[in-house]
Amino acid sequence: MRRLTLLFVFALALAPLSCNRASPAAGDKPAVALVLKTLNHPFFVDMRRGAQEAADRLGVNLQVQAAEREIDVDKQMQIVENLLQTGITVLVITPSGSREIVSALVKARDAGVPIVIVDTRLDAKAAADAGVQVQTFIGSDNYEGGKLAGEYTVNATGGKAKVGILEGIPGHETGDSRLRGFREAVAKAPGITIVASQPANWERDQGFNVFQNMLQAHPDIDTVFGASDLMALGAIEAIAAAGKTGKIRVIGFDALDDAKKAIAAGTMEASVAQFPYEMGKAAVESAVKVMAGEKLPAEIMVKLEMVTKNPRLRP
Amino acid sequence: MRARRFGTVIGLAVLCAVLWALTPHFLTVSNLLNVVQQTSINAIVAVGMTFVIISGGIDLSVGSIVALSGVALGALLQAGQPLPVAVFAAFAVGVGCGLLNGALVSVGGLPPFIATLGMMSVARGAALVFTEGRPVSGFDEGLRSLATGSVGFIPGPVVVMIVVYVVAHLVLTRTTFGRYVYAIGGNEEATRLSGVAVRFHKTAIYGVSGLMSAVAAIVLTARLNSAQPIAGMMYELDAIAATVIGGTSLMGGEGTLAGTLVGALIMGVLRNGLNLLGVSSFLQQIVIGGVIVGAVLVDTVLKRHRV
Repeated sequence: MRRLTLLFVFALALAPLSCNRASPAAGDKPAVALVLKTLNHPFFVDMRRGAQEAADRLGVNLQVQAAEREIDVDKQMQIVENLLQTGITVLVITPSGSREIVSALVKARDAGVPIVIVDTRLDAKAAADAGVQVQTFIGSDNYEGGKLAGEYTVNATGGKAKVGILEGIPGHETGDSRLRGFREAVAKAPGITIVASQPANWERDQGFNVFQNMLQAHPDIDTVFGASDLMALGAIEAIAAAGKTGKIRVIGFDALDDAKKAIAAGTMEASVAQFPYEMGKAAVESAVKVMAGEKLPAEIMVKLEMVTKNPRLRP
Repeated sequence: MRARRFGTVIGLAVLCAVLWALTPHFLTVSNLLNVVQQTSINAIVAVGMTFVIISGGIDLSVGSIVALSGVALGALLQAGQPLPVAVFAAFAVGVGCGLLNGALVSVGGLPPFIATLGMMSVARGAALVFTEGRPVSGFDEGLRSLATGSVGFIPGPVVVMIVVYVVAHLVLTRTTFGRYVYAIGGNEEATRLSGVAVRFHKTAIYGVSGLMSAVAAIVLTARLNSAQPIAGMMYELDAIAATVIGGTSLMGGEGTLAGTLVGALIMGVLRNGLNLLGVSSFLQQIVIGGVIVGAVLVDTVLKRHRV
């Protein structure tokens, strides 16, 4: 009876999966693996949609996998190891850690699986030390995006502002580059001072709390730059809670749907748009070219755009 | 107890059989080696958790201690210290945090949940402060060979795991300390009245848990070739799950390390299988949660109906 009960539990747990089975060996189509940082962020959900569109069009069996949490490099490494077992032909990945993921990519190299990197660059030195070569990098330049946001801030404020910054998780290439671009751009306007800069770890609730604290310490802040929209949206709530809606300029990054709504409603001023859908599409198209033996450019840059109600202020 | 452990092994076998039937990629040597490698870190952390839970406690701080030990290791290696020095420092940090947990519980009289909840936050914060939130990397090959090297065909992390399990099993079953772990969990007051230095041993039990976190930190750092202050989040839940699936009672007083190893393997095989099957990460969480609850439910039902 004991055996039967256990069998029952596991059979029950796994039963729904058998119909969901999409093993690469099942079809004759070549299998491309797309390993995202996470699937609980709209950015990566859009990227997946773009990739799927290209995969359907080009007759590719696309395997999408992601860790539960964006920062879980170990889990992402496990996913890569497991996918390599299924005989994928190309690995497309958005690294959760620019250096850490190199260990997993070594395994892909050893298995003879070509690698395409999307969105977050590999650490050049770590990759070179490990002898990992990638076919191409597809992404938009986060540094340029940050610069765009900084130049917009200069235009919109007339070069005079007290700025608070909400940073992503420290040590991530994505956030660091955005901030570097932003800081360099506003540094050209001597009237702009950055009075506070704190990490809110990409999250909306932390954006709320951190900005609330920031406002306590610096009530004179008149502009906030969130290195991602989720943090900026959190800041908008904090501004509302402080009764300062409309008095503080909010600039975000990613142009998520929620952010576009906030821009339309006037609670957010502008946001840098990346095009994750385009990235996903380009990723699968590149993977198909790799399979055909084509040589790809070292970088494929996807456009950036400032979304705002005041297009004349665009840099 | 023996029969119940057998039940868990059957569970693992059934799970493997189901995966074998569903995907041709599961039952290959290279995939099984992957599974044990991926399981090794949780399995090692779960050793300490088993000691603590058998003694009637709980340790929520293991993941944070993994992070803090890891960044201590990483920082010393980055500063050019020899590997043994850095490893010793990682052990010292892990054991130190564990002993502090133990002292708060046994001498301070705090509930283990609260003491280790505090440590979970303090150790995580310390790791972040110490590294300014950035990952520590750029070591030479010495540490890395732990993850890339192997003994025969068995990968380094798995060798570490096997050694840890053999030693810990002997400690738990063949030493007075081991007997006291069960005794304290079974009836702490009776144990104290029979003249056992309960405070001392309880402190040491949490020290063991800290030590295991440090061992896991070393393996994890070698595997990622980088020490991250945000590493090890949620490890406590995975370790508790492995321990409980393995038949250790949350009430204390009973449990085995063999059971815990099987519990950790069930979690590892499940995650691996779900990846191989291409199940979405959202659905994976539902399945894993269902299996944890299901396995323990079966265990509880069996317990109620036996003898």
